[in-house]
Amino acid sequence: MPLPLAAASLAPGLTLAMTGIVKTFPGVRALDAADLDIRAGEIHGLVGENGAGKSTIIKILGGVYARDAGDILANGEVLAGGAAADMHAIGIRIIHQELNLVDHFTVAESVFLGQERTDRFGGLAKRRMRREAEAFLRDVLECPLDGQTLIRDLGIAERKLVQIAAALIDGKARLVVFDEPTAPLAAAETGRLFNAIRNLKARGVSILYVSHYLGEIVDICDRVTVFRNGRHVAVLDAPNPTRTDEIITWMIGRQLDDLYPAAAVRTADGIEAEPSFAVERLGDGRSFADVSFSLAKGEIFGIAGLIGSGRDELVDGLYGLRPPATGRVTRAGRPIRLDPALAVQSGLVLVPRDRRRDGLVLDLAVTDNINLASLDEVSTAGFRRERRANARATRLADLLDIRPRSVGTRAGLLSGGNQQKVVLGRWLAAEAEIFLLDEPTIGVDIGARAEIYRLVRELADGGATVIVSSGDAAELIGLCDRIAVLVRGKLVEIVRCGEISVDGLIARTTDAAGQRVAS
Amino acid sequence: MTAFALPRFVAPLLRHSLILILIALLVFFSIQAPAFTAPTNLLTILESSAVLLIVALAMTLIIASGGIDLSVGVAIDFGAVFALIALKDFGAPWYVAIFAALAGAALVGAFNALLIVGLGIRPFLATLGTFFIGSSIQRIYTDGGGPIAFRRMEQGFRDLAAGNIAGIPMEIVIAAVVLVGYYLLLERTNFGQRVHAIGLQPRAARVAGIRVGRHVAVVFILAAASCALGGVILAATLRQFTPLAGQSYLLDAIAATFIGASIHPRLRPNVPGTLLGVLFLGVVANGLNLLGLDFNLKSALSGLILVGALALAGLRGRAG
Ligand SMILES: Nc1ncnc2c1ncn2[C@@H]1O[C@H](COP(=O)(O)OP(=O)(O)OP(=O)(O)O)[C@@H](O)[C@H]1O
Ligand SMILES: [Mg+2]
Repeated sequence: MPLPLAAASLAPGLTLAMTGIVKTFPGVRALDAADLDIRAGEIHGLVGENGAGKSTIIKILGGVYARDAGDILANGEVLAGGAAADMHAIGIRIIHQELNLVDHFTVAESVFLGQERTDRFGGLAKRRMRREAEAFLRDVLECPLDGQTLIRDLGIAERKLVQIAAALIDGKARLVVFDEPTAPLAAAETGRLFNAIRNLKARGVSILYVSHYLGEIVDICDRVTVFRNGRHVAVLDAPNPTRTDEIITWMIGRQLDDLYPAAAVRTADGIEAEPSFAVERLGDGRSFADVSFSLAKGEIFGIAGLIGSGRDELVDGLYGLRPPATGRVTRAGRPIRLDPALAVQSGLVLVPRDRRRDGLVLDLAVTDNINLASLDEVSTAGFRRERRANARATRLADLLDIRPRSVGTRAGLLSGGNQQKVVLGRWLAAEAEIFLLDEPTIGVDIGARAEIYRLVRELADGGATVIVSSGDAAELIGLCDRIAVLVRGKLVEIVRCGEISVDGLIARTTDAAGQRVAS
Repeated sequence: MTAFALPRFVAPLLRHSLILILIALLVFFSIQAPAFTAPTNLLTILESSAVLLIVALAMTLIIASGGIDLSVGVAIDFGAVFALIALKDFGAPWYVAIFAALAGAALVGAFNALLIVGLGIRPFLATLGTFFIGSSIQRIYTDGGGPIAFRRMEQGFRDLAAGNIAGIPMEIVIAAVVLVGYYLLLERTNFGQRVHAIGLQPRAARVAGIRVGRHVAVVFILAAASCALGGVILAATLRQFTPLAGQSYLLDAIAATFIGASIHPRLRPNVPGTLLGVLFLGVVANGLNLLGLDFNLKSALSGLILVGALALAGLRGRAG
């Protein structure tokens, strides 16, 4: 493999020991004497429920937060400080859970932000940076991108890869921390990322890998630490698929019986009787065309497809964020205008894939976020009634088990899974009828995921129509009644869930299968 | 979000430091210039801050929605001139003149809304355009910028500046009413809540079903209309229309809003903060005046206060 990473093989992997780490935020003890121990050159997994403290310990490792107590040893030496610059200097690189790219920068500028290459006159070596950024993305991350593309024109998966490239391009990484890197990625991109991670390992770099996808953890990790309530509760050697249940039990403190709920009534056969929601030959003239399907009340309908299959654009189109150019959508037989405000009014709601940007107003309290779409119901003549608003938010926080329970907390401070529950809570508050769920369980821990699946099934059993767009084939098969497969903007087939395996669905979403279906 | 936080107790101190500084200034001025604490002088401070408060509140609403308005001066002037035309050319009673002022200024806001919401121009540039156009219209209308006097102004209208209610000067009453109105609007209504959401994260607001464009349009129109009351007070005080007079409030209004935002826990524009910002600027101007110091010092000190407030806010962000 060429250029940048070659340098990394010169720097041996870091051995890192964190002991007794404590970190308190106002009202929350995020880390409570937690230990984490990473050996040189290993891929170390870190798992735990939402809010267990994974991101917090990583931010301490990256110098974003100062620890209240505890020691950090790097290659056996105690680190006195812990500022971001110190951590960077010893080769720690963090791929944070949150995307932190600037919208109007190019790919090349983003990769080299803060570490710009200069020419011999001290000017920016733009051409060289573009070349190196493109080469790195293409060769190491297997993601060919034009270095001139603006970040805002990239999908969330591509942004993630740009973020990773920015952290690794200097070739001085000795410990790379990935905080839920695959959350926005589809199966194929995940595969590419794993190749890159194994590549780093082969060069002796140590890896800390955080994910809620336990399948990935047992697949790629050499050892796994489990966090629970801000402490390490177990370290497992040689994880493998047979130990997944063991990991889950350590994580949530009990056994998880069924991830996916059984339907009270599977309605897949009653569809033609009374379509509650029908899409007719919808197209946006670019990313998807000629998409048709019709859904019954009580049905959970999946949309499968790779990045670039038009899945994201279709969801945005259905909600009116980017109005489609052709075709129409009907509800109970009547055509509707696609516009978010009208949609919400009529009970068609979206849980967006990027919840931090589109789902929540991060700076507002949980109460405000939950009530935001139905403020009229917690007010009198347009004036807010704090008590009513709080009561309703608290009721939903209880129902969804949002932690911490205090609804005055700023939404931006919640852990990923809890943020997702807040968005769901908003639409429960608004008493929606048709739910568009876009990647509903990204970054959500396995216990909370089971709860969300149960909730979705309850909604459907109660007569709601649910559309789930997801890159996670297992999730679609476990949750949905039927699944539409999108390949390159075309809906190639609609499959019944009982009739297809996870691998079968993945195969159908890839090009090869698409061509087979088409021929 | 940095590794080395300041000690815990620093945060609350920083948060209230602006109020502490204001108190310190009050004490300083009252020792240095005994006339400062005279009731009549304190009333003067409030009186002379009335117009700025009204304009700064409008600015607060706009900044809370994520925008900025460089054309508030035009709205003030249009308010004044529409009121004057109603009085002078149509012999309208004072309340009709106020209505004309509101309508004239709302026109300015509607034009901004058209540019921003209709044509998608960014608020900074859209309102800059409105400022240029509006200023030019005033010069043309006044044949080059001379004031239009109206000495025989109806008493009812003059009372808007010269009158009082229970001894409280009318300007202060008007500003207080606007203050309460804006407080309720921004901090207590659903509309205000939505405006904050739009200002913070417009995309998330849209996904939540909020009609972002409509709200932004209302914000600009409402803000401009309320600036008209400033214009009315100016016209009634001076008994004339002075072209481009409103412009002098623009920068102070922005400064007051940001000084006010700096006391908010999360640095958001807010109505009580804006009141504090306006009082700050008013006290400084008045105090310097009494000390007989160069009036030009006032801008420098206002600038220092603004920068100081923002610096304190920055420190506080670190103290978490
Ligand atoms: N800056 C902050 N201020 C206050 N509380 C915080 C802050 N950051 C995190 N927390 C709280 O600390 C706890 C641990 O959060 P953390 O983000 O580390 O969880 P996590 O294990 O990464 O969860 P997830 O899997 O959902 O990402 C949570 O209760 C969270 O709400
Ligand atoms: Mg996390």
